[in-house]
Amino acid sequence: MKKYIKWFAALLGILSTTTIFSQNIVRYNLTVTDTIVNFSGKEKRGIAVNGQIPMPTLTFTEGDIAEIVVHNKLKESTSLHWHGVYLPNKEDGVPYLTQMPIEPNETFTYRFPIIQSGTHWYHSHSGFQEQIGMYGSLVLLKKKEDPTFRKGIDDLPEVPIILSEWTDIKPENVHRMLHNANDWPAIKKGTVQSYSEAIKAGHFKTKLGNEMKRMLAMDVSDVYYDKFLINGKNESQLSQFKGGEKVRLRISNGGASSYFWLNYAGGKMTVVANDGNDVEPVEVDRLIIGVAETYDIVVTIPNKDIAYEFLATPEDRTKSTSIYLGNGKIQLKSRMPKLKYFEGMKMMNDMMNMDGSMDDMGMGMSLQKMDMNTVMYPEITGMPKMKTYNKESRSNHSINANKDFVTLNYSMLKSPQSTTLPKDAPVRELRFELTGNMNRYVWSMDNKVLSESDKILIRKGENVRITLYNGSMMRHPMHLHGHDFRVLNGQGEFAPLKNVLDIMPMETDTIEFLANAEGDWFFHCHILYHMMAGMNRVFSYEKQAKNPYLPNKKWAYKKLQSESNKFHFMIENDFTTNGNDGMAMLQNTRWSFGTEWSLGYHDGHGYETETHIGRYIGKNQWFLLFVGFDWRYRKQNGEADRNLFGQTNTKDQRAVLSLGGEYTLPMLVKLQGEVFTDGNVRFQLMREDIPISPKLRWAFMVNTDKEYMTGFKYIVSRNTGITMHYDSDMGIGFGVSLNY
Amino acid sequence: MKSLKYLMIVLLLLSITLCNAQSKNQKTDTVKIYGNCGMCESTIEKAGNMKNQSNVDWNKETKMATISYDSLKTSKKEILKRIAFAGYDSDTFLSPDDTYSNLPSCCQYERAKKEIVLYEEPKMKMPTRMMEIVKTNYLMLVFDSYFAVKNALVNSDGNLTSTKSTELVKSLENVKMNELKMEVHMGWMKVMKELKADANKMAKSKDEKSQRTNFISLSNNMFSLLKIAKYREPVYYQFCPMANDGKGASWLSTKSAVKNPYYGSAMLSCGKTVEIIKIK
Repeated sequence: MKKYIKWFAALLGILSTTTIFSQNIVRYNLTVTDTIVNFSGKEKRGIAVNGQIPMPTLTFTEGDIAEIVVHNKLKESTSLHWHGVYLPNKEDGVPYLTQMPIEPNETFTYRFPIIQSGTHWYHSHSGFQEQIGMYGSLVLLKKKEDPTFRKGIDDLPEVPIILSEWTDIKPENVHRMLHNANDWPAIKKGTVQSYSEAIKAGHFKTKLGNEMKRMLAMDVSDVYYDKFLINGKNESQLSQFKGGEKVRLRISNGGASSYFWLNYAGGKMTVVANDGNDVEPVEVDRLIIGVAETYDIVVTIPNKDIAYEFLATPEDRTKSTSIYLGNGKIQLKSRMPKLKYFEGMKMMNDMMNMDGSMDDMGMGMSLQKMDMNTVMYPEITGMPKMKTYNKESRSNHSINANKDFVTLNYSMLKSPQSTTLPKDAPVRELRFELTGNMNRYVWSMDNKVLSESDKILIRKGENVRITLYNGSMMRHPMHLHGHDFRVLNGQGEFAPLKNVLDIMPMETDTIEFLANAEGDWFFHCHILYHMMAGMNRVFSYEKQAKNPYLPNKKWAYKKLQSESNKFHFMIENDFTTNGNDGMAMLQNTRWSFGTEWSLGYHDGHGYETETHIGRYIGKNQWFLLFVGFDWRYRKQNGEADRNLFGQTNTKDQRAVLSLGGEYTLPMLVKLQGEVFTDGNVRFQLMREDIPISPKLRWAFMVNTDKEYMTGFKYIVSRNTGITMHYDSDMGIGFGVSLNY
Repeated sequence: MKSLKYLMIVLLLLSITLCNAQSKNQKTDTVKIYGNCGMCESTIEKAGNMKNQSNVDWNKETKMATISYDSLKTSKKEILKRIAFAGYDSDTFLSPDDTYSNLPSCCQYERAKKEIVLYEEPKMKMPTRMMEIVKTNYLMLVFDSYFAVKNALVNSDGNLTSTKSTELVKSLENVKMNELKMEVHMGWMKVMKELKADANKMAKSKDEKSQRTNFISLSNNMFSLLKIAKYREPVYYQFCPMANDGKGASWLSTKSAVKNPYYGSAMLSCGKTVEIIKIK
């Protein structure tokens, strides 16, 4: 008997050692702290992990067990999401969906087996922390004996590259400004597209057409960034590489809202993987990497003693960031020429219907194949004002140069292995239209934000097929947690696997995946400011086991919903020689609480306020239905004003309730109609912020009470302006305008 | 009077200290910048100069530039980078190739030779494709010339379109009707006249705009012909709804990727494949 036990013990010992061998536990300790950074010449708050931005690169090998211990030393809660990684739902790192937030001074351990390989990244999923430093590379290596190990690719020297951007403005404030359509970012970027600029470019009619269709200035990105970064630096060099060497760049786009063009000064780039999944090598001259996408690229350093520039340019081409590969003289890559915004505006005008929906003219676009933005690319359509040294050189270079120029698109991605889903599984078909309106910065799916939608139930074992149509005016990188999906791109059984799908305006794409990982998984636009505006959904497996980290899921979902439907505050006041004019607003996706005031300096000018509480109606939110309250006091010796309808009121002292509506007319003029409790009716036409020149705005207002106003404002900085206005009540005035 | 004197002295002293403060950050360096002529000189200096920051003086004989700059505001590297983006190499930066080749020809200085190091690829077996030998088929030559015309239009090159159209006219004339198969013969008869007329017009004009108008009907006829006769490769019948002032227009291509001949570079990728005509 004893002998048996001995044997048994020995056997156990052997077993346990083997498990230790095959299940290597790799542990990282991550300490999250507040820090002061200086990327732009100004000292600002950032968040560092283990003292660095970006967060340290984490490397694991397939088969390892990852153990990541997070120590939160911030004054706010945090979380870490493992982007593109297959893991148990409770380790996914979405606060209020898969776990509770990691509170200040708390320690939380993420622990999951690594069951895949490839280039991924990780970032905070709490608030706007990703924008100010919480992003890092996550590299999952193949085992040497892996049957998919590719000689000449998987054994090359490699460098993790994480792209990001930096803004000196607090991201919460950036978000608030976006909702309030603050012009300052556009002024900084030179993309206001005002009337004066339109006339100069010979595009007055285009601009007029654009405003007729109630569109604001078009742009490919919304946020002004002070610096763009590769691995936390605007410019850096990797001098360990020599001429003749091949290098694999594992590139993740950790930017909060920037797409980047990638170019290389040393010749073509070979794309070998995307979103952590191998693809058949394809040679390209350039590619665009969507927010949160990853690409693995092999480049060659062709010459001795020359370093070659790898250039990442944000889509709006305002700036760039570079890393030089090799040592010696630096071979530069030419910068991407500025966008021709009015060409893009013209195209948008042609494609937009009067009701604000988009018309693709029956082209059935998909998979990034036809980029409508190309009309804005001078390198393709010719330079606007190029100096002609001699005619020949121009026609030879700039136009014919792009003949065999290859830009990557999704239809060129092909998986080396078959990726088909089980054929006998039941299929669940879903369709989403990506919707949004620029004017109020509302981004949604099927015109509903997360706080207006329930979780979408799916069943384990079924194939989920999703058709996405982008009916909005901006591109969206849609990301699914916990799964890779097949992109049906014409490669048949070798359709590539991805976890982020960039979808351009008017495109339709189909993706499918096998529901094989139970839990609640986020599906959202990865542009941080779109996500925080509510462009999210949750896929929830039916009959899933309880999540120990989140006992009360119902309550948590409500919390999650409210995170992306917060109220935004704005206030503006003009201090002028004849009085104070101002407004304050508190708005979310649908509701608006606004009050306007106009305070004279003496009783003759009067004091008045109007308060409106309303709800925006419709997809484009051109209609606002509101109830209001008006109060005014003015000393005018009892003289009564008569309005256009013959109704009178003294306005000397008046306090009335009202019911009304506001509709945005073509040319973005707001028509407001109101009925007051004293029986009076008032209609009013108003437009503020007509862009005359990049910094000059014109405003006007007329109404049926025979009141009118016109004024100019010159924008000096983000929060200040100089104003001059004439008002039928208070006469002419000059002053300063402050806004928040 | 005395006080004025004092004031003068104080002012003088002040100005000296100010000058000193400035010269403390002021640095001067001499670097080589590759270039040729007087035109180069003005381009280099214009690119390098920046008000209150830097001043560049380049000598076209010695190729040496004297760079003086405020080291608090800028750096030698930054200045040389700007000069490289204007087309001129230095020992720190090499100008982008396309910028260099866009320089006026008198400025295209001799660049330092690069030592190319080849990457040794592990040898791979290349699949050998069987080549098919085809007897001279005059219709194939017609299609070949058509594709050449289309490619010229893709590049918005009116002159080339005209030359290629002349070749198309010739190959159209060369077609020996009686050698064609019955159904191909019938198809040829239907479109022959119009094909020749369109090709002739396109050959005579040098203006892409009018050539494109003729190209619409040329392509339609070519499509109906090619559909019967077939080509040696699969052919893609492509359509862009925006061409022809929104009425839409089609063309044939041997490549699946869309390269629109109706707009040239402005809308190169507008369109989609409507039909694929497979090989016989």
